[in-house]
Amino acid sequence: MLRRVACNIVQSRGIKHTVNIKWVRPEYVPAYKPEKSGDLEGMPPIPESALGIDYALTEEIKEHLFSCLFIFSVAWLTAQIRYLQDTMDKFPRNSKMKQLVQERIDRRKKLLKFLRQYDYKKFEWLLEKLNIEYKAHPESHHKLSRKESLRKLTEMHCEDIRKKKLDDYRNLLESQQGPYLKQKLEALTFIRSEQIDLQMPVTVTEQDIKKVEQMLAEWTIKDQMKQQAQKRKKIIAIDLN
Amino acid sequence: MARNLGEAAKKFLLLGQCVPTVKQNAAKIRVKRLELDENLLMYFRKDEFYYCHDPQKMCKTGDIVLIQALPQKLTKLITHEVKEVVYDFGDITDPVSGKKVAKDRYREDIDREAELYGKLKSTFDYNRAPSRGWQDGKKDFTSKPTYTKFHVFDKNDPYAI
Repeated sequence: MLRRVACNIVQSRGIKHTVNIKWVRPEYVPAYKPEKSGDLEGMPPIPESALGIDYALTEEIKEHLFSCLFIFSVAWLTAQIRYLQDTMDKFPRNSKMKQLVQERIDRRKKLLKFLRQYDYKKFEWLLEKLNIEYKAHPESHHKLSRKESLRKLTEMHCEDIRKKKLDDYRNLLESQQGPYLKQKLEALTFIRSEQIDLQMPVTVTEQDIKKVEQMLAEWTIKDQMKQQAQKRKKIIAIDLN
Repeated sequence: MARNLGEAAKKFLLLGQCVPTVKQNAAKIRVKRLELDENLLMYFRKDEFYYCHDPQKMCKTGDIVLIQALPQKLTKLITHEVKEVVYDFGDITDPVSGKKVAKDRYREDIDREAELYGKLKSTFDYNRAPSRGWQDGKKDFTSKPTYTKFHVFDKNDPYAI
């Protein structure tokens, strides 16, 4: 008995996945890269007129410096990050510079997080002006593993199957609604006419019949739209093939 | 008796913060609670999460809202409804003077200072600024939770890091 149970356990281990899921590990992207840091554009070329003491004392710079230090520091960090990112592309093994970029990216993210709490409108305006993406930190930081990824993919696959089955069942039930409503309409009108003819108390009001007519009209419109959508899908599928 | 009262109070009205969620037809609200550790006789924070019915999409991520238990569960998940948004996230009003505040300063003061230094056209203006949400899904990805990228899909999800 025990041996049989043990055999079963051993055999169950060998069961292969019946679901055809192929996991592709995402390629490693260093954290200093623009796609990770959220910079949507690189460092623009600096015109010669924007150099030197004259530019540093212009109205524009003064205004930006003193009006909001918060925004100024984010912009200043962004400029530094973009410059360092360019340099990192040329010298990817420069570890000191890598550290500097990372520190600046993290500091900017922290500042943006606070700005979001203090003043959401300004935060959105700043993202638009500096062309940065802001993504919150994920709930948990952990190393990517094959097992966990496969589990997630399988869950997604199961969810898809469940959704497809439910959609099919819904379609089936909705397709049966039309004939049933027609039948119901006929039956109700017949009952009403019979009750009037036989001078019996009328239990079916005209409102009931109108309600069913309205439901039938709604169903026909929906059904036509569905059929048109299906036709379009078929045409697209034929074109693709 | 006390426990019953506590549970009844729980169902009456709750104050919580809206957190990012994947669900499209419900808002996820985090209610901060305290739990007594009987060995240490100390209270520790324990969060409770409620999925709330919000058909008009009143609350956005980060807002402080009042929620109330529904008489009947709407779905398996949705048990509460959003009654009112109490505090908007990132749009703080000083309760004493009723003026708008950004961090530790009045917005009026910031504007005044900018004017004194010479306001430019490119400077941020509160009156002209669109309401919150115009960058949602474009450059501001905070309405849904982010996660570590675990697979290469055909379509790139911006919420995968």
